[in-house]
Amino acid sequence: MTKNHSVLLKEDKCEGCTNCVKGCPTKAIRVHQGKAWIKEDLCLDCAECIRACEYHAKYTKTDELTQIVESNYPILLIPPSFYSQFTENTSAAKIKKAILNLGFKAVFDVAEAAAALSRKTLDFLNNNPGSFISSSCPVIVRLIKLQFPDLIEMLIPLKSPVELMAEKLEKKFKEEKNINPDIFFLTPCPAKLTTVKRAIGQKESFLSGAIGVENIYKKIYESLENIKLEQPETEIITLATIWGSEGGEQSILQSWQDINTLSVSGIKEVKKLLNEIERNNIAESIKYFELTSCLDGCIGGVLNVINPFQAKFNLEQRIKKIKEISKNQKLELNISDDEYYNFALPDEITADDISKLDHDFKIAMQKLEQLQKEIEILPGLDCAACGAPDCKTFAEDIVNGRAVRVDCIFMLRQQLGELADELSNLANELPPVMASKKEETDDS
Amino acid sequence: MRKQQILNKEIESFDFQSGGEASSNLKNILRKLGVSAQIVRKTAIVTYELEMNVVIHSLGGEITALISEDELEIRVDDDGPGIADLDKAFTAGYSTASDEIREMGFGAGMGLVNVKRYADQIDVKSSLGEGTHVKVIIKLSS
Repeated sequence: MTKNHSVLLKEDKCEGCTNCVKGCPTKAIRVHQGKAWIKEDLCLDCAECIRACEYHAKYTKTDELTQIVESNYPILLIPPSFYSQFTENTSAAKIKKAILNLGFKAVFDVAEAAAALSRKTLDFLNNNPGSFISSSCPVIVRLIKLQFPDLIEMLIPLKSPVELMAEKLEKKFKEEKNINPDIFFLTPCPAKLTTVKRAIGQKESFLSGAIGVENIYKKIYESLENIKLEQPETEIITLATIWGSEGGEQSILQSWQDINTLSVSGIKEVKKLLNEIERNNIAESIKYFELTSCLDGCIGGVLNVINPFQAKFNLEQRIKKIKEISKNQKLELNISDDEYYNFALPDEITADDISKLDHDFKIAMQKLEQLQKEIEILPGLDCAACGAPDCKTFAEDIVNGRAVRVDCIFMLRQQLGELADELSNLANELPPVMASKKEETDDS
Repeated sequence: MRKQQILNKEIESFDFQSGGEASSNLKNILRKLGVSAQIVRKTAIVTYELEMNVVIHSLGGEITALISEDELEIRVDDDGPGIADLDKAFTAGYSTASDEIREMGFGAGMGLVNVKRYADQIDVKSSLGEGTHVKVIIKLSS
């Protein structure tokens, strides 16, 4: 298992078709000897390949429940999107009790930190000129690092809700109870798991690990009906639970202030938007962009169990219910508790500088020329039979020494044809002696 | 080191579908050459503005990019109708774009103003009926 990524290949299931190769937003996959290998330095863990694969050969390996609960003091953090996996009639208190029964010492809502982060974000936006991009979706942050490095300065330099929550709890448990907790995240996507191993903008994650929703959903769901709560189910969760759905963050900001924001979900659409931002073709008056890699936001995460349409509806219903019970239409804007959070990302987010052909400009120029020649020679059908997603990417692989031209079946056929012609010409050629004899007989 | 051509693309009048392609292609080429992120951004903005100027105002033209280790040269040549008053064209907010174009979100009168803001050198030759020839230099080493 690779240390850097959470999306992996089950070799025995891979048929070597190129659906994932073609669907990958960073062109990180190549079929080589019949198997679809992921190039680690280009992979964002966005899970588009998991969505594209009909043979279920791409999967996510998250931590095992049995191992997690054996740790010293396991705590589980629930993302806002998790509540979309149940109808609003299953109370948050009941869901949390079911999780505790699995062997966790405590359960907390990441939405609490999301609420605090929303307040901090509004404050940040009001005090800094320019436009900013949310840095809560790790896939989007990695996409910008990799393909839009000039937009890194637009990423809001604040930690994600889950890291904020984990940091706060770690400190709290140490100070108040002298306990060193092991904090795990119930993740809807592989990218959040990757962040545990490879934190962005901070040296290390405050999380010990993460478990996919699909890994424990069944256990939670089955135990719900046997749970009897001692206290009446009065406990309500924060309105910031709306963060689980696309536009949630934006709706909270707008409930406080008339602020220009735009929310876009789905990595392909986000890429288009970033392109427009890059060439200044988006109004500068848009102050904040809420961008998520999964369509519809975190509820569309590939590790969720409920289909995203139902999940979206479920979350909407729950938000309605929270508003009804709390008799509050919007989130509190002033809460002194927020000072327990340490919002700022300590380290600068840096570019993943891997798109250049060579470090030396002159060599890069030579390679570029070679690349343009290869592109002209190749058929341009983008059939992906060579294992690369399209002819241009294949040409780049050739120039970088990672493929050869005859990996293209059209090139191979052409070369075989030429070889056959040469063979036949050769066969018809006569040695000089025989040739002169032939002339003699012709004359007689 | 002499300048080598890295891009040459025809631009058709009113082709909003492919408008922006030259800018995207050039951006990708510069990244492959290891040009810094800030300069790629500048180039993307400048090229997109110039490209859309051809799409919106001209009868069609072409865009060419040449590069050496020190600088990038972008040339945009179009066939008419030409710019009547160059000084005005460099004035923020001045535009001759039709209402139709404005409704599409273009024609804010910032095109050449923005190009000038991000380019290190700009040279525009134009007269009515003869088309417009723009040459922009972006320095690669600061």
